Amino acid sequence: MSRALPAGLVLAVLALLVLAPMAGLLQLSGLPGYEAADLRFWDNAYLRRVLYFSIWQALLSTLLSVLPAILVARAFAMRGQLPLRRLLLGLFALPLVVPAVVAVMAVVSVYGSDGWLPLGRSLYGINGILLAHVFFNLPLAVRLLLPQWQAIPQHHWQLGEQLGMSTWQGWRFIEWPVLREALPGVLLLVFMLCLTSFAVVLTLGGGPRSTTLEVAIYQSLRFDFNPARAVVLALLQLGLCILVATLTLKLHRLPEVEIAESAPVRPTSALRKWLDLGLILAATLYVGLPLLSMLIDALDGPILKVITDVRLWRALTNTLLIGLSAAAVSVFAGWLLLRYSAGLAHCGRPTVARLVDLAGSIVYVVPPLVIGTGMFVLLSSHVDVFDWVYPIVIAINALMGLPFVIRCLGPAMRRNHARYHNLCLSLELQGWNRFRYLEWPLLRQPLGLAIALVTVLAMGDLGVIALFGSTQTSTLALLIYQQLGAYMIPQATVTALLLLLLCLGVFALLERLIGGAGNVAH
Amino acid sequence: MLRIEQLEFAYSSAETARMRFDLSIADGEVLSLIGPSGSGKSTLLNLIAGFLDSSEGSILLDDRPIQDLAVAQRPVSFVFQQHNLFPHLDLYTNVALGVDPSLRLQPTQVEAVRAALARLGLDGLERRKPGELSGGQRQRVALARVLVRRRKILLLDEAFAALGPAQRMELIELVKELVREHDMVALLVSHQPADALLASARTAFICEGRVAALGSTAQLLEQGDPPELREYLGSK
Repeated sequence: MSRALPAGLVLAVLALLVLAPMAGLLQLSGLPGYEAADLRFWDNAYLRRVLYFSIWQALLSTLLSVLPAILVARAFAMRGQLPLRRLLLGLFALPLVVPAVVAVMAVVSVYGSDGWLPLGRSLYGINGILLAHVFFNLPLAVRLLLPQWQAIPQHHWQLGEQLGMSTWQGWRFIEWPVLREALPGVLLLVFMLCLTSFAVVLTLGGGPRSTTLEVAIYQSLRFDFNPARAVVLALLQLGLCILVATLTLKLHRLPEVEIAESAPVRPTSALRKWLDLGLILAATLYVGLPLLSMLIDALDGPILKVITDVRLWRALTNTLLIGLSAAAVSVFAGWLLLRYSAGLAHCGRPTVARLVDLAGSIVYVVPPLVIGTGMFVLLSSHVDVFDWVYPIVIAINALMGLPFVIRCLGPAMRRNHARYHNLCLSLELQGWNRFRYLEWPLLRQPLGLAIALVTVLAMGDLGVIALFGSTQTSTLALLIYQQLGAYMIPQATVTALLLLLLCLGVFALLERLIGGAGNVAH
Repeated sequence: MLRIEQLEFAYSSAETARMRFDLSIADGEVLSLIGPSGSGKSTLLNLIAGFLDSSEGSILLDDRPIQDLAVAQRPVSFVFQQHNLFPHLDLYTNVALGVDPSLRLQPTQVEAVRAALARLGLDGLERRKPGELSGGQRQRVALARVLVRRRKILLLDEAFAALGPAQRMELIELVKELVREHDMVALLVSHQPADALLASARTAFICEGRVAALGSTAQLLEQGDPPELREYLGSK
């Protein structure tokens, strides 16, 4: 089969990228010279504390993000005719493309000791971590939950009204059953994102009391030079992620993010209307204020000094190189996998097709930092890993982008295949012609979104580059971290603004250039 | 008797978009409403149910105006083409919601729910979910809820359009029986002239937001007058 071979090669490379580092970790854990005590985490107070903090901060972050998100999503759902609704929901999509380290700067500029709303003595520690995680995940949860309300048939609202249901009864019989479908998936996704969050904890975590597994792995390798501990931490992280991913798969699907304009018809009191508007305003301020504050701080900062620094331009070039290369590799690999799985689904093998798609999302289970650690351990005895920084960082970032490619492109590719494959066969439309006349016009929009998304994710990544990067090979995200470490906060703020503008510009440009301006009717 | 007098409504401010209805339906009668898509049939039902607010005119039930009542207070039961039932609730609960949305039912009310399900041929299926039923059975459940609600006006908006001919005929007969038994007033919107013939002695042809013709169903469909009706029926 012409499609099986390229897809098989992609799967083999994926397996190698994931399994080889894992094997390296496992092998290392059995080598003489490493204390057995390092491997028994239940005897080790440090490991126990890191594990406890990882779960605790992820749990708190999830609850603080998702519970208010339910109220905000409901308020948006009930206010379908709200002026600027689309713009506000657009603002809620912004954290998806804001690099974590930029978000940290934004949060610090509002809640830090010199910020607009200083929060206690120090932002560093659990408070800062929670604020940043909620900044990212509240808008995400709102956008994931809102379509659930919009999936409620208009007739159900009318029926509820006709039967005289109160607000509570409407919630119980109409809203909650639909919300309940998506809630476990959203909770677990946010939990997983917070559990594997690296940049936020690295920059806002405060010493051993506020360290997660991901950051502890990094510290073990880069500062403590203790690969054995890194191995144990990586294995613990892997176990946790497998557990959460299995639960996610078992418990439920994730809703499609599709924001419609329709709104339920329900007469509401003035009080409820103002309550909804208050909720929307509070959430908008929570998301918008840090970005605005950072913008003002940066404009007031040493812009000239930062942009005339040669390190900035070197970092900017590296950022673009890594982002665009990772996106190209990721989309190419994703395309080959999806083309194969669409064919499998079309010829009556949906289970195998699903497994192929799942293999592409392996990074959900094996965190990039664990892969990075494994690679570090595996390669360090043969080569100088810091000489291999670009291929390694690009490969791992491409791997991290693959689930997004599969999610953006998968449904459209499967639909395309199901509708037009037989027609293509009858017309002998193959290869380049098939791509030119069928796939490009119909798939360019999700393709543009996938490329834009993976590019900015890779551009903003701090995890892998922090492990392998150096001053020479730094990206903008790493440069911000280095500036923060040197207490050059004004410089870091300016660099963060530049990275944010670069990400937004690249995202808009790629989406427009590749995706085109309009929709193609199916 | 349900009387609709000079009932006006407009989706936009344009004068041409203004709809105006005059109709009366006797107790125990099923009146069919036919007409092209967008002519105002469903709008009329939504005005009676209170989902839309009229700008002028009145809706009188036994000479009492009901147009100012809130939706839940109106003596109306509505059966839609789909989504009449909550998919996560069993049949019993779906019907019981029609008695009291808090589901705190007296023993006599519980008995009434069971009796309604039995009357509609659904006994033994109380614990089934709507997804486990056929389309016809689902509409029967919706009719069982109509029975327990004991509201005088029954509105059916293409309620049987998704069903096959045999099931459609069966359910229309059932509606006629229920309307007679409970002395209700029913309006049935349908795109099938055959449904109108079977369901009602009288039919109203709605066109461009007006009752363009009203009379004996058989005569109306045979004569095809006015010309818009002829065009609608495809008998030019």
